[in-house]
Amino acid sequence: MESSDEESVHRRRVHLRPFTLRSPAPVTLHLLPCEVPVSRPAPVGRFFTPAIRQGPYGLEASFRGRSLRGEEVAVPPGLVGYVMTEEQGEVSVGKQDFSEGSEEDHEVMESPETLERDFDRFIGATASFSSFTLWGLETIPGPDSKVRGALTWPSLAAAIHAQVPED
Amino acid sequence: MDRRDGACGRQHVFLVPEYLKDASKKMKNGLMFVKLVNPCSGEGAIYLFNMCLPQLFEIKVFKEKHHSWFINESVQSGGLLHFATPMDPLFLLLHYLMKAGKEGKFQPIDQVVMDDMFPNCILLLKLPELEKLLRHVTEEKEIDKKKYYKYSKEKTLKWLEKKVHQTVAALKTNNVNVGARVQSTAFFFGDQASIDKEEDYIRYAHGLISDYIPKDLSDDLSKYLKLPAPPASVPNPPSKKVKLSDEPVEAKEDYTKFNRKDLKTVKKNSKMTASQKALAKVDKSGMKSIDSFFGAKLVKKVGKI
Repeated sequence: MESSDEESVHRRRVHLRPFTLRSPAPVTLHLLPCEVPVSRPAPVGRFFTPAIRQGPYGLEASFRGRSLRGEEVAVPPGLVGYVMTEEQGEVSVGKQDFSEGSEEDHEVMESPETLERDFDRFIGATASFSSFTLWGLETIPGPDSKVRGALTWPSLAAAIHAQVPED
Repeated sequence: MDRRDGACGRQHVFLVPEYLKDASKKMKNGLMFVKLVNPCSGEGAIYLFNMCLPQLFEIKVFKEKHHSWFINESVQSGGLLHFATPMDPLFLLLHYLMKAGKEGKFQPIDQVVMDDMFPNCILLLKLPELEKLLRHVTEEKEIDKKKYYKYSKEKTLKWLEKKVHQTVAALKTNNVNVGARVQSTAFFFGDQASIDKEEDYIRYAHGLISDYIPKDLSDDLSKYLKLPAPPASVPNPPSKKVKLSDEPVEAKEDYTKFNRKDLKTVKKNSKMTASQKALAKVDKSGMKSIDSFFGAKLVKKVGKI
């Protein structure tokens, strides 16, 4: 059992449901400078968001008694942000989207039966964003923050992976 | 409160090219994350295929210590930011061509791109203009209208040199500081007043490209580019099983484990591959390819009701 699971992980494909990318609801995202060891629902809107103020040097908030300074960070042009959530539980192969598919939708060269196999999994975008709030501990993260730097990766990757001219 | 926010599925924060959104309008399926080889390390890495365009995307994750997300009314630990960016599939094809090249034979490409470890590699054969791509790194022969390919090191080095030069141009446009003085913080710090030497740019770009090719080829490329041998390599810190830390041991459930500024020294990942070590200069500050993404263990079979 264990070994066959192992094998299917290598063969597995995680299908991103295309229709979920079309118009997911906007999401409010905060990147916090602290470790929270769990992932679960949290009353962010009750305890965190109401305390955010616009201070002289940017946004101010506090979390667990520490003072945070924050700023809005826009997703670079040409990119779009999504929160993707793994679908839980049983997957039925070839299960169709709950119907946003219309007549013009065409399927790719392979039939879904061969693209999607019974050990595959599914993921979908549950929300989208075009900016997020980046928080620093006591100081504003600013232009030198590593996250800001990371946002330049796509333009560098574009150069690395662009086709080179032929001789 | 939106129930979806409280869903128990793991949430991943992603940045993807905007055109994927448009492409998705015409698709019912054919967007998928798969595990393929990392052409540098030979280990597994996650990629995204759009079988409709069709196009290959590399998935990199940015991770900074002590970060977490608030996503609407939920908290997501780790604070990971995933990037999906278009990838030149030739780096992956090259991995297989070099392997097959050891036999020194001309072979059809579908016999070259085969992998028991990563059987999804056959999806690469569905990408467009393969023949055009292969020309950069192989000698080819045509017999009875069927093409046969053999890895060519000379052509590959020429191709990689062009890659390096176009990357140098992008480094300059993006004002990436490539100078030796700032090695440790290099990659992600944009502004710089000083003018870096051309050689620094080439070395830096060589480092970036080396993330996609095996170590031997990276060394050959370095010679081909006439880069002077790097100064005696800095000994790597011994890798330790235990968590490297100068912080007091903290309780697992401590919500106040903050990212203290004074402790923000970059710690080297003890699991770096050989070429990553060689590339210590190119510090991409937490930007990594990932080999697991959707934890296999996540799906717990639910017992019968």
